[in-house]
Amino acid sequence: MHIHAYEKLWLALSIVLILALIGTVTYGAVGPGVAMVADSQSTIDAGGIDEDERFSEPRVEQVGENEYEAYVVAYQFGFEPTPIVVPANSTVTLQVTSRDVIHGFEVAGTSANTMVVPGEVSEITVETDEPTEYGIVCNEYCGAGHHVMEGKLHVVSQSEFENRGGDSE
Amino acid sequence: MSTALESERTFVDKFPDEARVVRAAFLSSFFALFLGAVFGIIQTLHRTDVARIIPSTDYYTVLTAHGVFMVISFTIFFLVGLFTWALTRSLDRPLLNIKITWTWYGLMATGMTLTGISILAGFVDSIDMSADVLYTFYAPLQAHPLFYAGLAVFIVGTWIAGADWFRTFLAWRRDHPDERIPLQTFMVLTTMTMWYIASSAVAASVLLFLLPWSLGFIEQVNPTLTRTLFWFFGHPVVYFWLMPAYMLWYTVLPKIAGGRLFSDPLARVVFVLFVLLSTPVGIHHQYLDPGIAEGFKFISMTNTMFLLLPSLLTAFTVVASVEYGARKNGGSGLLGWLTNLPWRKPEFTGMMLAGLMFAAGGFSGMVNAGMNINYLIHNTLWVPGHFHLTVGTAVALTMMAGIYWLWPQISNKPIYSSQIGLFQVVLWFIGMALMSNAMHAQGLLGVPRRTAEPEYSGFDYPTMFGGFEELNIQIAIGGTLLFVSTILFLGNLALTMGNPKVSGLAEPLPSPVSGAEDAPKVLDNLRLWVSIALVLVVLAYALPIAAIIQRGGLLGPGVGTYPVWLAPLLDALADAAAPLVGAVTDASGSLAEVVR
Amino acid sequence: MGQNEAVHAGTEDGGGDAEEFDPIGTLTLIGIYFVILVLAWVYIYFVEFLGRDLVIVG
Repeated sequence: MHIHAYEKLWLALSIVLILALIGTVTYGAVGPGVAMVADSQSTIDAGGIDEDERFSEPRVEQVGENEYEAYVVAYQFGFEPTPIVVPANSTVTLQVTSRDVIHGFEVAGTSANTMVVPGEVSEITVETDEPTEYGIVCNEYCGAGHHVMEGKLHVVSQSEFENRGGDSE
Repeated sequence: MSTALESERTFVDKFPDEARVVRAAFLSSFFALFLGAVFGIIQTLHRTDVARIIPSTDYYTVLTAHGVFMVISFTIFFLVGLFTWALTRSLDRPLLNIKITWTWYGLMATGMTLTGISILAGFVDSIDMSADVLYTFYAPLQAHPLFYAGLAVFIVGTWIAGADWFRTFLAWRRDHPDERIPLQTFMVLTTMTMWYIASSAVAASVLLFLLPWSLGFIEQVNPTLTRTLFWFFGHPVVYFWLMPAYMLWYTVLPKIAGGRLFSDPLARVVFVLFVLLSTPVGIHHQYLDPGIAEGFKFISMTNTMFLLLPSLLTAFTVVASVEYGARKNGGSGLLGWLTNLPWRKPEFTGMMLAGLMFAAGGFSGMVNAGMNINYLIHNTLWVPGHFHLTVGTAVALTMMAGIYWLWPQISNKPIYSSQIGLFQVVLWFIGMALMSNAMHAQGLLGVPRRTAEPEYSGFDYPTMFGGFEELNIQIAIGGTLLFVSTILFLGNLALTMGNPKVSGLAEPLPSPVSGAEDAPKVLDNLRLWVSIALVLVVLAYALPIAAIIQRGGLLGPGVGTYPVWLAPLLDALADAAAPLVGAVTDASGSLAEVVR
Repeated sequence: MGQNEAVHAGTEDGGGDAEEFDPIGTLTLIGIYFVILVLAWVYIYFVEFLGRDLVIVG
């Protein structure tokens, strides 16, 4: 089969590009340590999340030195707790599940973004920086009121977090 | 030369029965395009808050209709028309039995009508029927059974269409045992092979789970499983939309440019790569799904990235074919030959602009394909920004441009106005450049896709690239230009249909610079490619699907049912949406003032 | 392609099926495209994505 020399050159460049793209993503995973939301949590009975120790009372909890867990429930059409209040300069693991249909959980303008599927728990860990306020949107269509489904993530100073009793309510 | 051309017969002269089917399929396609465009403009103006003529709760009916009519009816009806033309033309023989051909056309039309009714009924409150589940119909949101049943009938129609083409090919093969498969027939057969593999999963999802569930035979489904089966189909389907455009770029565009295809063997390689790689990649739509291991996501990414290869090769081959034509017409210089091309022909300019936008879409597609960078853009407006460059322009604009060349061949009627045609394709390009660019930019701000009201009460988007509001204006203007362009296209076609028939319109396609005889015979061995494709699919999907079933069970981990089509739920929604009504009233009030 | 067209193209080009043609213009255009792709990718990955708040680390 005859292939023109220029096209061979382009074929080689294309393969280099493809390998470079895969390489960049791999670098992101091992260098800055970007991890994918995956199957780290086992399934949950979506109809019975009110009996689940984590989600019967959605909240933020301290689980270690400067480490916090947030248990978040998405439902038609909102998030609980709202706002989610976490301390600045800490490591926060969000566990998000759905009471009804598929939702999205996106902290607008940041990299924190995950699908929320009923029966599954999405687990993502982030590191907070300075105190600030973020909006949370549901970015997967979830029914006729989808566009009113929003929440808030408040990153507050350590002292303010303690004043609130360490909880988000 | 000219006498030779005049004595040449057009497609409709040679194959009048097939030409009738092709025209019927194209007209069904463009009827869907019209409906899709109407819902498109309503949606654009609603989302950007320029004009809200419907309540926001009806936005999702509009969005479902826009999605299904555009990417199922418009694209696939065009495909079956184009493939019927291409196969018959390149084999130079009629289809075996035209009654079978009309049967599959009838099934597709019936199925789409049923699905369309179930969607449009969502606008009528007195009918307990709705399918506001969007084009992806993710369970546990549940549409009316008619929605799923119609889709199943439609897909069965496409399967019979493929069988019709394969049977005609096999009959040709008996008469020509030693000839190479003609290139266009090769494209039809490989594309349909991919389609059989891909659509089997969505058919299984609909027939085993969603339809029985919507009829009440089973209580619940596993949402991750049905979602995974959807994306098993949902990524290769984008190549099903794209392959008609590729066929036109490879076999018609070089002719219009005054040249010939640069390489027949490479065209075959590209289509084989699509058969092999377009299915074992669907999990890249589920990078951010819980319940699927990271390793499966990484495998899917590797396959997806290699799927760039056939498109990158296509870019070279197609541009080189055009350059060949330009140089034959006296073009010279490194880039000076670009001026020796028929830019006044809408069929040429339309396809070239479509290709240019596809190149841009290639970049945003690379970002979508990158596993961890998916956090940046997943389910933001970036994604529809991307696919309005690919299916919304590379495919749609190529199809419209292709019609300016093809319609005379299948009807003996000259195009009503090439000037309107040229204006129309350029208008599409400008409209899409505005709309898609702004959608990508809003996506980077974090603006979600698929929402009636992307502005929220609790926060504002960060200001970059001129900010949310200016980008909204760009989207609204772009969407309006696209709507006008669609209407000009449909009007031009309608007036063309009113033209009298003439003779001498035939435009035969030239043979490639590097022809089929230069292609290794193994490329034509479809059995081999099907086997490898199936192995790759099994490797990519067996373990993830087994893991999903093991985790959640075949019918799901206790997930409920959320019909979008039953009255009690609608009442509950009405309560939830009560605060909205005020906002909508305000909006319509201010709109009324603007109109005054 | 159909036989009739092979014949037709043959008359059109004087049977010049074996002619050589160097698509240098195509190579130039696609080279520019390649550079744009690489620059845009580096920008979006390292500036837009990794430069954001709340990168997922676990």
